[in-house]
Amino acid sequence: MTAVRCVNLCKTYRQGDQDIKALDHLSMEVEDGGFVCLSSPSGGGKTTLLNAIGGLDKPDSGEVYIAGQRIDNLSKGDLAELRLHRIGFVFQAFNLIPVLTARENVEFVMQVQGVPAADRRQKSLDILEEVGLEGLEDRLPSEMSGGQQQRVAVARAIVSNPALVLADEPTANLDSKTADELIDLFKHLNEHHGTTFIIATHDQRVMAYAKRLVRMLDGRIVEEIEQNAA
Amino acid sequence: MNLVLRLAWRNLWRQPRRTWLTTGAMVFSNVLLVFMISLQFGMYRLMIENSLQAFTGHMQVQARGYIDDQKMRQTIPDVASLAGKLREELDSDAVAARATAFALASSEDRSYGIAVFGIEPQFEPRVSSIPGLVRDGRYLESADAAEIVIGTVLARNLRVAVGDELTLIGSGRDGSFAAVVAEVVGIFDSGVAELDRTIAEMPLGLFQDVFYMDGSGHQVVVNAPGLGQVAELRRRVAGLLPEGQDLVVQDWDALLPGLKQAIQADISSAVFMYAVLVVLVAFSVLNTQLMSVLERTHEFGIVLALGLKPGRLGRLVMLETAMMGAIGLFLGALIGGAITAWLGMRGFTMPGMEEMGAKFNLPSRLHPNVTVASLLSGPTVVFVFSLLASVYPALRLRRLRPVEAMRAV
Amino acid sequence: MNTLRILTLLAWRNLWRNHRRTLIMLGAVVIGVWAMIFMTALTMGMVNDMIEDSISVLPGHVQVHHPDYLDDPNIANLLPMSDDAIEKKFAPAGFLAWATRIKVPAVISSERESRGVTLLGIEPGREEAMSFVDYDAVEGRFLEGPDDDGLVIGRKLAETLETELGKRVVLMSQDPDNEIADRGFRVVGLFTADVQAYEEQYVFAGKETVQKLLRVGDGVTAIVVLGEDYRNVEPLYEKVSALVDDGVTVSRWTELDTYLGTMLRVMDGFVLVWVIVIFLALSFGLVNTLVMAVFERVREIGLMLALGMKPSSILGQIVIESMMLLVIGLAIGNLLAWATIKPLESGIDVSVVAEGMAMMGAASVLYPQLRIEDVVLANTVVLIMGFLASLSPAWRASRFQPIEAITKVN
Repeated sequence: MTAVRCVNLCKTYRQGDQDIKALDHLSMEVEDGGFVCLSSPSGGGKTTLLNAIGGLDKPDSGEVYIAGQRIDNLSKGDLAELRLHRIGFVFQAFNLIPVLTARENVEFVMQVQGVPAADRRQKSLDILEEVGLEGLEDRLPSEMSGGQQQRVAVARAIVSNPALVLADEPTANLDSKTADELIDLFKHLNEHHGTTFIIATHDQRVMAYAKRLVRMLDGRIVEEIEQNAA
Repeated sequence: MNLVLRLAWRNLWRQPRRTWLTTGAMVFSNVLLVFMISLQFGMYRLMIENSLQAFTGHMQVQARGYIDDQKMRQTIPDVASLAGKLREELDSDAVAARATAFALASSEDRSYGIAVFGIEPQFEPRVSSIPGLVRDGRYLESADAAEIVIGTVLARNLRVAVGDELTLIGSGRDGSFAAVVAEVVGIFDSGVAELDRTIAEMPLGLFQDVFYMDGSGHQVVVNAPGLGQVAELRRRVAGLLPEGQDLVVQDWDALLPGLKQAIQADISSAVFMYAVLVVLVAFSVLNTQLMSVLERTHEFGIVLALGLKPGRLGRLVMLETAMMGAIGLFLGALIGGAITAWLGMRGFTMPGMEEMGAKFNLPSRLHPNVTVASLLSGPTVVFVFSLLASVYPALRLRRLRPVEAMRAV
Repeated sequence: MNTLRILTLLAWRNLWRNHRRTLIMLGAVVIGVWAMIFMTALTMGMVNDMIEDSISVLPGHVQVHHPDYLDDPNIANLLPMSDDAIEKKFAPAGFLAWATRIKVPAVISSERESRGVTLLGIEPGREEAMSFVDYDAVEGRFLEGPDDDGLVIGRKLAETLETELGKRVVLMSQDPDNEIADRGFRVVGLFTADVQAYEEQYVFAGKETVQKLLRVGDGVTAIVVLGEDYRNVEPLYEKVSALVDDGVTVSRWTELDTYLGTMLRVMDGFVLVWVIVIFLALSFGLVNTLVMAVFERVREIGLMLALGMKPSSILGQIVIESMMLLVIGLAIGNLLAWATIKPLESGIDVSVVAEGMAMMGAASVLYPQLRIEDVVLANTVVLIMGFLASLSPAWRASRFQPIEAITKVN
């Protein structure tokens, strides 16, 4: 089953008096359980592609399918529903709600989804343990290191078993040891939960881990490399 | 210095919404203050003038103690000549002698207790508005004719009209029986219920005859050209009083104590309200400036590291506040002044003002008057308190240390 | 609802993120609420006293007169109903208090002076509940029955007339034929009143004594009736009107003292205006605070939207935050107001402006009156207007686009 399918996406931005082609007739497929890295130099379009896949941004033309369902023509409300239930996000920074503890941040999405309290609590504790943050559940983001914060973000992203996790430069603000640990975590989750990962990055360490590496330049895919076949 | 001004100004507009909301609070309060203060000043002045003009006058010469006891025997000897002398010395016609007694007035059908005043027909119009408010008939003319004018309510209660006769019965100065029959030649409508119901006026000469006054009277009413000149005139009149007769000059405040106090009470409650408004605006400014300072911690840190003294920074914040305050003052005074002036032309009334106004001699339509004082006093206080409110945020800046500050986000 | 709970949690925690700002805003709200309630209590207290004073002089909430009497308060304008007939109808009707009386202008003379006064021929027992005179505080004694032949006058009047307890005075008035009716009375009591003018104006005698003096048989000039609540006179008015014949005028106290009747209405309106004005002054600060709070949280709002939270939830969160602030401010403000008013309930001495108060019809001691209706009004206005004020910043926050918000640089 194809987790994600993009067909002929186009998106152009205006910056100053220049038109920038962020996506230029781009097509791509990612299979279930895939672990894909999108890489490009800054501004190469990887973030735009990620946003289009995640339903945060509408392409000017082309189609996006998530698990066979077309999403680029959905209403804002439906897109929100989609993001809530089916997609997990990890951003580069500011991933957490500052006034909620780690556990509460993880529970946040489940609460909005309507999961009963007892279930929520157990699930969030379990997932925090899985990402190696046992004992830190009641800390506020301001009381945690950058790496710990990112782990909480990952925990939140996967706790309700989304079809897809999209991560935008997740290791950009981390030192190498922490970055390694984070990527290991991604890999672990990808292997044990079968979650599809699409990670946008220009961090070499991350790219080294990907099963498939997709290089982009000026809104186009210039190279796709299969590597690290499991 | 110019650079600092520019900097302060630009800082204000980094967050236009916030600046506008803060000045908005100032403008709102200022508009209210200008309107209310103008209204009050005008209203008080009107209240006083109308009340005094009706009958009391700006001041009265009386026997000592008369003001408290009002006894028939507390007289001013030779009252008419004293009045004449004062007129000469002061070079003014706004001086009139009076005498007064309690009497029972009887018409054909009815009798009522009233206060009778003997007045000087030639000069009374200069100290009282009653002569000019005669609605039926005419005012008194001769100095001793057996004529009388009464108020509309009294006329109605006694069931008399112009031309009818009234019998007055009372006690003379020495306690003996006094009586006279007089013709009603005029009926006045002063609008003041008290006057219209209880006062009758007859010529002083007639009064002095009937009540055995032997040339004496009870009051000499003196009017100044305006309220502002009352104090000085009073001193002059006091100096002109004959020795040995134990006479005093009472000003309107003593004659109508309720008036000044009613105004004072009203002022106190108004001041309370104004104070609350000013405090609320000050809080608003405090909040804004505090936030504005805190979010610039990092950049202030840099500035300090570059060598600027913390005191200068504090002054910057106060300058920003002063600019906002100036905008608030200017706009508030402008808008408030415009609205008030417009209402001043049109006249301004509220439901219920007619009945309430009548009690205090106010018309049912008020015309608030914008003066420099009423325009600027409120907004200036707001400005000052706003500046005071920004002292705390400014002081916090003095304690700022560069390295710490730069670590802030 | 689950979402509501998390919104509430977020709102609460966000409120305290920035202590100083929240506390300052809270301080402003507390002061505003306190001022609203305090001023209202003072004003209503003053008005209430004025009205009760006036009612105690009229007396009563509803009166019945001959149609011409109010214009021409002369003895000729007696009530066309006989005292007996009135008694039969009014006694069993269950009024809080009622009485018949004669009120006419008269002249009182001592050896030295004469004055115009208002003579009241009353049934002392029945009027005690309504009267402004404290029977027990009368020097000498008050009247003991409608047939008492003594006279009770005000202390100030006694001074003016240079007379005293036990001395004789002469009272002179008119009978229905316009003949002089006069009689000597012994002064048996001296009363004092809060408003000195009353002491000079009113003299009390027994109803039957006055009826004899004025040669009116068993005629009376007025029926006075006291009800429960001076703000709600209609039912009493209806009841009284039903009991009397045609050919009389029934008047509510608001008609008899138009100044105070109007003042009551005006003051009620004034209180509302004052509350709104204060709130408007507060609202600038409130909106400002919310705007600043939202601005600081742009990124995390974007995050929440990206995570799938609905815009309406963002709006809800901000509104809840604002309402929480207001509710706390209201609670403290109400408490503070109660705490400052309670000790003052035994009276604020304003005798320094006593005569001014008298001119307005008020006494020289102010009793603040805290009424539930006024407190509810203030709180309701704050809550409703606060809700409305918070809608704008909340709305704008909910309109944020996730990507823009997340990537926003300060």
